[in-house]
Amino acid sequence: MLNIDCPWCGKRHETEFHYGGEAHIARPEDPAKLEDTEWAEFLFMRTNTKGYFAERWLHSHGCRRWFNVIRNTVTHDIVGSYKMGEKPPKLPKRTGDAK
Amino acid sequence: MAETPWITPAAAIAESFPDGLKELGPRVQVNLRGDVTDSTFVNAVKTATGLDLPDAPNKVAAGKECKALWLSPDEWLLVGEGEAASLVQSLEEALSGQYVAINDVSANRTIFEISGPYCHQVLMKSSEVDFHPRAFAPGNCVQTLIAKSQAIVEQVGREMFHIYVRNSFSRYAGAWLAEALVEYSETS
Repeated sequence: MLNIDCPWCGKRHETEFHYGGEAHIARPEDPAKLEDTEWAEFLFMRTNTKGYFAERWLHSHGCRRWFNVIRNTVTHDIVGSYKMGEKPPKLPKRTGDAK
Repeated sequence: MAETPWITPAAAIAESFPDGLKELGPRVQVNLRGDVTDSTFVNAVKTATGLDLPDAPNKVAAGKECKALWLSPDEWLLVGEGEAASLVQSLEEALSGQYVAINDVSANRTIFEISGPYCHQVLMKSSEVDFHPRAFAPGNCVQTLIAKSQAIVEQVGREMFHIYVRNSFSRYAGAWLAEALVEYSETS
């Protein structure tokens, strides 16, 4: 089980959170102007990262805030969490490296 | 209209509650949202209720007539006794024209009070949050899961906690707390 550091509430158990998929995917400025393939690209296509990955989490049973977490998809090592709009923490150099 | 009595699903099992666990009567509960960095908002709330809204997470600020539980960076639960309508009205008057939300949620949650030497053990059994005195003290509150159902836990005394649960979960949560309390008081 993961212990996730909510930027407001502090370290809490994974069961209090919901997963929100890949972070930092910007919604197109004007969706009406997009081709179907471009819209599908925005909606469905995600990187399938092995290693450190920026992802969104929702503290659904706590403060109900969305925030970002950098987690290693192989080892579950969590580098840190940061609020929406903040800069992500620095990543460890090589995939799979411990902190 | 005749006044309806306060009955939650937990009332059906209230007689079997052990010492140290009881369901409190109805409390005024008002959900307040607004921008804590805006001094006009904070001052207006202080004028209306006498409360300094806590801006630190998971803290409770006590006032004369009600207290404020931190729920999220822009959201508080005001809890008190008396009339919800008058609290809502005084807040609405003080905050008129501001970008806020004031909602009477008194019927949303019921409150269990657990007290005595085993209350910490009961919470340790029920939740993953650290309720040890070195990490959690009177004046702290936390939104978390109690036996997998959503709850707000507030420490009101050295050995006394208030647990706010949804009415619809109250029978389940009440039965869970009762069983946990009996378990620890009988084995010690």
